[in-house]
Amino acid sequence: MSVQTMAQAIATTLDSEMARDERVVVIGEDVGKRGGVFLATDKLFDKYGPDRVIDSPLSEAAIIGAALGMAVYGIRPVAEIQFADYVFPGFDQLVSQVAKVRYRSGGAFAAPLVVRMPSGGGVRGGHHHSQNPDAHFVHTAGLKVVYPSTPADSAGLLRAAIRDDDPVVVMEPRRLYRAVKEEVPEGDHVVAIGEAAVRREGDDVVLVSYGGSMAETLKAADALQEQGIRPHVLDLRSLQPWDEDAVLAAAARVGRVVLVSESPRTAGFMAEVSATIVEEVMDSLLAPPLRVTGFDTPYPYAQDREYLPSPNRILRAVERVLTY
Amino acid sequence: MILQGQAFEPFTQEPIRLIGDGGEWVGPFELDLEPEKLRGFYLDMLLGRLIDERMSRLQRQGKTSFVAPSAGHEAAQVGMAHALRRGHDWLYPYYRDVALLTALGMPLIEFVGQVMGTRADPAKARQMPYHPGSRELNVFTVASPIASHVPPAVGTALAMKLSGRSEVVLCTFGDGATSEGDWHAGVNLAGAQGAPIVFACENNGYAISVDFKKQTGSDNIAVKAQSYGMPGYLVDGMDVLASYFVARDAVERAREGVGPSLIEFVVYRYGGHSSADDDARYRPREEVEAWRRRDPLARYRRFLERRDLWDDAAEEQARAELGTQLQDAITRAEAAGPAPVEWMFDDVYAEVPARLVRQRRELLG
Repeated sequence: MSVQTMAQAIATTLDSEMARDERVVVIGEDVGKRGGVFLATDKLFDKYGPDRVIDSPLSEAAIIGAALGMAVYGIRPVAEIQFADYVFPGFDQLVSQVAKVRYRSGGAFAAPLVVRMPSGGGVRGGHHHSQNPDAHFVHTAGLKVVYPSTPADSAGLLRAAIRDDDPVVVMEPRRLYRAVKEEVPEGDHVVAIGEAAVRREGDDVVLVSYGGSMAETLKAADALQEQGIRPHVLDLRSLQPWDEDAVLAAAARVGRVVLVSESPRTAGFMAEVSATIVEEVMDSLLAPPLRVTGFDTPYPYAQDREYLPSPNRILRAVERVLTY
Repeated sequence: MILQGQAFEPFTQEPIRLIGDGGEWVGPFELDLEPEKLRGFYLDMLLGRLIDERMSRLQRQGKTSFVAPSAGHEAAQVGMAHALRRGHDWLYPYYRDVALLTALGMPLIEFVGQVMGTRADPAKARQMPYHPGSRELNVFTVASPIASHVPPAVGTALAMKLSGRSEVVLCTFGDGATSEGDWHAGVNLAGAQGAPIVFACENNGYAISVDFKKQTGSDNIAVKAQSYGMPGYLVDGMDVLASYFVARDAVERAREGVGPSLIEFVVYRYGGHSSADDDARYRPREEVEAWRRRDPLARYRRFLERRDLWDDAAEEQARAELGTQLQDAITRAEAAGPAPVEWMFDDVYAEVPARLVRQRRELLG
């Protein structure tokens, strides 16, 4: 165990996986001597050299496409996209090639690779350094998507992603990269893809969130507890596949659900969660599930904080489902 | 590595040719290929031509939904196939590479099964026709989005380099592909990393209807190699021996670790872009006829006949044998029966996830 930030936990996990398995390589912009602009690949270049820590040209299509070509050959690449906002030049590689290669080849070829990307707002980055494009990936059959909110989960999910036989998009909440430090287990610490974590036990309302918005969700949960309201807080951790069992069980037991995500609302991930709750456990609901999300605008600059689901917005939604 | 003294100059003004119009050898070095090898080139081209004709008939009969004509491309494709080590090197092809795939050893039943979309398709009938692949032959499964296979091809080449093996990647595409961002992304990465890869453009002058002058301001595709730090070869792609020797030099150059190259094969497609195309809307018939007079099979047959390696009897026998093999593959592909509905849900992931299990049940009960 050692106390680490999320960024440190990612770098440490990459190091241990590269040491464990010589097939694991890192490719991306500035991942070499620079150690990544967020230092998520810190010190790897010195230890593993330019063959396994590959500074790519400034081209997301090249990064993701090359990762795919390595993966079908038997290498296990971990690609870094510097900001999730910049994934779109490589989006066709993800959607047309990575996600579909197993399917269209009838299982002859597979793409066990990882694409990491810092994502989400709260860093005063404006719309090209703040977006949270998770729904695009979830909507693409063939990709797995994970979205940790803690240093320990970042390590455990990244390790699971590297060892997975399918392509995994790892979204990392950039505003939490250095926000907290916590004990990160070493060695074979793996968090299974598709399993939510219970962050608070309670019976009055269910709060479901993931990634960066877990910070505000937990603040709202603390405020509720001070008022004597006991929230049940779920951190999804994985979006594709997502832990339907945990969400549906909690929704059925408590009957009141608030869904928190910083992505734009329309056709966002929480729309899927909400629809599934209504389809599966309608009879147990005491109120309609409510979403607290980012807005259907491009991500703003001056209103960086207002765009994100704040504890107050979450609390207002909780009040609505409690008084429905 | 320079082979037998026939190192070719990159960036020539005129396409590299080794066989003249009359079938005469015009190469600057002595040809030392065995007669069997020389006849093999012809048989592979002939098979490609026969498949092209037969698949078009199948499409008109309603037995397949789509074909991508390849007649006119055979010499470039067969030349490239013979430059590779089968099952050792990797191929990232595009959808028009029929003769390349079969010359590389793809069983006819696999190709025809894919085109007909039956149980005989090893890839489980998941893609439209002319999108085959083969794990055994290291042939990456064709994808429709143009040039999207170029960055992955480079990734495989980088993996080979990392693994310290002597394999090489060949990546083919049409002229239109060179306008895509992914083409630049891939070729640029290969140049920066010195990847063991050969890029091959089968330039037939048209991307569906858009002619070459509207595709690029460059004089040709080969010159583009200059800006990526690799040699670019302009080759008569209707000359199978020029195609073979230039491709072989480029492949061996990559194998020796010297770096990537780009080859432009000047070809022509006699048919439309696909069975859904009407090429009479954009190409004069006289142009098609003029190119047909430079037919790669006819020219190479004259070459073989000058050396007493081919005659009418050999032609008749070869057409009969290849035709029988092709008909046999079609019969077997058809008899294999339709792809089962439940195949739709496999291979999305390594294991079928719970959601898909439920969706499969929703469909199948």
